[in-house]
Amino acid sequence: MNWLLFTPEIYYLLVSLLFLGASMGGRATPGTDYIAALSAAAVGMAVTAAAVKLEGSLFAGSYRIDLLSQVFKVILSSALFLVLCICAQLNGIRERHRRDFYCLLFLCTVAMMMLVSSVHLISIYLSLELSSYSLYVLVALRKNANLGLEAGIKYFIIGIFASAMMFFGMGMVYASTGAGYLEELTEVLPGFVHDPLLMLGLLLTLSGFFFKLAVFPFHFWAPDVYQGSMNQVAAYIATASKVAAIGILLRVIAVLGEGNAYLIQVLAVLSIVSMTLGNLAAIVEHDVKRLLAYSTIAHAGYVLIGVLSASAGGYSGTVFYAMALLLMKFTVFLVVVQVASAGGNLRIEQLAGLHRRSPLLAMALLVAAFSLAGIPPTVGFTGKFLVFTAAMQKGYFTLVLIGMINVVISLYYYLMMVRAAYLLKPDEALPDLHLSLPLRTLTGALVALMLVAGSFPYPFIQAANAAVRALM
Amino acid sequence: MASCWIENSTLLTAIVGTWAPFVTFVLIMLFTRHRPKTSAGLSLASATVSLASALVLLGGHWNLQRPLEYTGRWLVSGDIYIPFGYLLDPVSLLMLTVVAIIGFLVQFYSLGYMAGDPGFSRYFALMSLFLWSMMCLTISPTLFQLYIFWELVGLSSYFLIGFWYEKFSAGQAGKKAFVMTRLGDVAMFLGVLLILLHLGNLNILEIDSPKIVGLMPPEMLTLAALLIFGGIIGKSAQFPLLTWLPDAMQGPSPVSALLHSSTMVAAGVYLFERLFPFFLFSSTATTVGLAIGTISMLLASTMAMVSRDIKQIWAYSTISQLGFMLMGLDAGGLFAGAFHLTTHAAFKALLFLCAGVFIHQYGTNDIYDLAAKGTRRMRVPMLCTIIGAGALAGLPPLSGFFSKEVILAKLAGLPNPIWLVAALLGVFLTAYYAFRPIFIMLFPPSLPAANASNAAPEGTRHRLLYRIMVGPLVILAGATVALGFLQTPLRNFLAGQYTGLTTAGGAHLGWLPYVTSLLATGGVALTWWEFGRPGARQTGFVDGIPVIARFFAERWYLDRLYRAILDHAVDRGISAVLAQNDTRVIDGSIDGISRGTVLAGRLAALINAGMIQYRLLMIFAATVLLSLYFFF
Repeated sequence: MNWLLFTPEIYYLLVSLLFLGASMGGRATPGTDYIAALSAAAVGMAVTAAAVKLEGSLFAGSYRIDLLSQVFKVILSSALFLVLCICAQLNGIRERHRRDFYCLLFLCTVAMMMLVSSVHLISIYLSLELSSYSLYVLVALRKNANLGLEAGIKYFIIGIFASAMMFFGMGMVYASTGAGYLEELTEVLPGFVHDPLLMLGLLLTLSGFFFKLAVFPFHFWAPDVYQGSMNQVAAYIATASKVAAIGILLRVIAVLGEGNAYLIQVLAVLSIVSMTLGNLAAIVEHDVKRLLAYSTIAHAGYVLIGVLSASAGGYSGTVFYAMALLLMKFTVFLVVVQVASAGGNLRIEQLAGLHRRSPLLAMALLVAAFSLAGIPPTVGFTGKFLVFTAAMQKGYFTLVLIGMINVVISLYYYLMMVRAAYLLKPDEALPDLHLSLPLRTLTGALVALMLVAGSFPYPFIQAANAAVRALM
Repeated sequence: MASCWIENSTLLTAIVGTWAPFVTFVLIMLFTRHRPKTSAGLSLASATVSLASALVLLGGHWNLQRPLEYTGRWLVSGDIYIPFGYLLDPVSLLMLTVVAIIGFLVQFYSLGYMAGDPGFSRYFALMSLFLWSMMCLTISPTLFQLYIFWELVGLSSYFLIGFWYEKFSAGQAGKKAFVMTRLGDVAMFLGVLLILLHLGNLNILEIDSPKIVGLMPPEMLTLAALLIFGGIIGKSAQFPLLTWLPDAMQGPSPVSALLHSSTMVAAGVYLFERLFPFFLFSSTATTVGLAIGTISMLLASTMAMVSRDIKQIWAYSTISQLGFMLMGLDAGGLFAGAFHLTTHAAFKALLFLCAGVFIHQYGTNDIYDLAAKGTRRMRVPMLCTIIGAGALAGLPPLSGFFSKEVILAKLAGLPNPIWLVAALLGVFLTAYYAFRPIFIMLFPPSLPAANASNAAPEGTRHRLLYRIMVGPLVILAGATVALGFLQTPLRNFLAGQYTGLTTAGGAHLGWLPYVTSLLATGGVALTWWEFGRPGARQTGFVDGIPVIARFFAERWYLDRLYRAILDHAVDRGISAVLAQNDTRVIDGSIDGISRGTVLAGRLAALINAGMIQYRLLMIFAATVLLSLYFFF
């Protein structure tokens, strides 16, 4: 066994264990801890990037390292780094829980990295659970126990429900085919297309991923959890967790979905319901994080369009979309964290006058919102273009039509945020927001990246194409 | 492209001309936001560069034989290749020049109009952003690039309408404009995708070539054409998406002059010109287009007949004239549409800029108020307004007369006479509503005591600002008069486009010009009888029938209808149910939590609130339904 292949995961596991050890003893030193976590995440990015060309398999073939998994690991490690960038003031949790927070965050990242590399039903299940459990605790860590605990419990209950369904489904799959490796499943699948046991098993298996991605009907946790967890954790759930779910979903659908009409139709239905429901519910929302939760549900619907196209273009569009989601969602959360500086929840009205308090943040919010709404030349537009084109090539005209109508609906509530930031006047004069220089640089870089990747997406698309080639 | 662009002077001129405003936008946003004078200077300088380059391009390619195209790679995904670059041909060169000239004049005018505004720099930055996107839209060689800039001009319009941040209704209007045009863009995007799938690329020259008929089945072609026409409806404010334009008048007057009359809303018509042969391949699409254009033209005319807001009157007339252009294009007259677009750009910008001078001076939009405050004493703007309205009404020898004439000739060539009749009715109505504000303002029942300060504003600074504003008016008025006589050169210039497709100039009916001018004069005479003659009651014949007047003033209740649909279907229907559900469930559970102290108690309260089971049940039911689906 070549342990070198496992380097990024080992690195993140070690960091996590270090923080675990530190959390058991010693006086809390928030400043030092933060610097340590941030630099550990930065080094982690370098380690993951260095490992991008590795290929091979581990653990009796249940764990595959290929370009797809490595690209997703790079995205995940950057997501962790970005989220840590906005953790300088962790107002949302008690000081003595800081180290636990870092430990869980790193642990969750390991689990997600393992998830995108898993190619056996059991390894998929284990890494999915590991990442979910870290998140349950992270959500419940919030200082305001009422909010955090309630959200954590809701998240936990719906999570274990989905997980039970998933495990049941895996059992059915194994019972009908005797295959546990995804590759084996590909081989035997053509003979079982009309076998109810296997098909229902596959459907239930997917429910675990749907839960992670917040696809209807497994989306119920999202608004409550986003609202209840502290802003940084919500940012992590909205970015890293979604990216990982997209990664594993791609792997599984690439193996099972092609030529499987039933699964494709189910995905199409779920996609339509998710986008429509998410967008309509978001219109009446006034809590920014709940609004973002519904927008996540809608975006899960767009992602499914790319996934169910089951073509090279669709998959690479989905990978591109995952990168885009990370950029856009993170930027919005950066604004949320900075504006809700006391660590509380943010209502849309509280964004009022942002363009006077901090023009940079207001502009970041504007670009991110327009990107989420899919307006060119932002990265969100290019992502939607790729995904919708792939679906059109497969002839899913109605699906694309519904998707486009949803894009217009979504514009409405994104504009609500923009309007608040630029047009509304705050009831009382609020002090200016001062960002530290690194944070200003980061914000500027994110804005530039959203525009540049939207205008000149070619290198990113090439990377996505290369990653997807591992699937075909 | 990279190797030759520096040596090729045409391409270099095009790049410099189109990107100068963008550079300005970035510079202002990054560096000179707090130095209004520098910002304005930068912006005006870049507008001058754009204007010069557009004129050089137009002059240098007056005898253009075949379209010039320069492209580079933008993205390749799977078997789809999308380039970006420049396409220079008569249609795009003409539009580019129109945009550059009006853009320059309006920016110059804004120096006076916006002077002292707190957002001066921001305003010029946004104007530059618009100019850049509009010019890039004009010279797009692919539909994809065109679509991107199409959205960007929409975006600039959104920012510029809501330009006065403090004005809440302006923000609302901007949003309405943006969302409504986006609705049309959905259709357009789908149409673009359809073409992409059949053709494999989005090259405008290839879409316009006859080979598309072989690549796309006829019904697909019709569908694609109709979908793209949806985008035109949204952008050019045609029926049924026309109500956003009058509301967009909340923005500053120069913005209305540049975006919402002469260039941005005309982008829809421009797109039609761009894809002219493509639309002609589908007779269904042209018939639908003809109908939509006619309906919009007549509908907007009736609305303009009763409005009291000067900018709204001109906004309705914009809708109506754009509908008129679409009629001409759908009847197969490329030159007809393009010529009227050009003349309309000149006289409509003129009308809005004049209205801006009045509003700036007297602070009201209401024509009766303006009249009472003595607009007739502002000689130059008043005279310019009359020239503009004359062109709008189609009175000879102003440019509007000639361009309307070309369209009418095309319509007369159609087998079905109904289009011509509708258009002639439109001519009459246009003359009526165009001169209604003129006579009201010229002959107010009573005038305030003649006071010199009213006519010429006081103070050297004030006078300077006034002169800055009047300068562009005079130029535009000159253009309005002169353009009509440029008909033949322009026709020859455009004849190079789509050779073989432009059918001979429709029916040459000797009586048509007389009938047109008679109708226009008749319209003006009726207005004069009702509003202008000494002792006139200054109420229109429509006002005599309150039901109809109200119907017109309420915009045929279109807005109410949309609002009702939105409220019932979305706000009160689905989302309200969802929201109610959420509040009940969440409030319930939070109340429950605060009651208990022990974790168990909290859990029990949670479960007693009934939400978790309810949600799990939903998950379960949905999954069961999906599973059942397998058996069907």
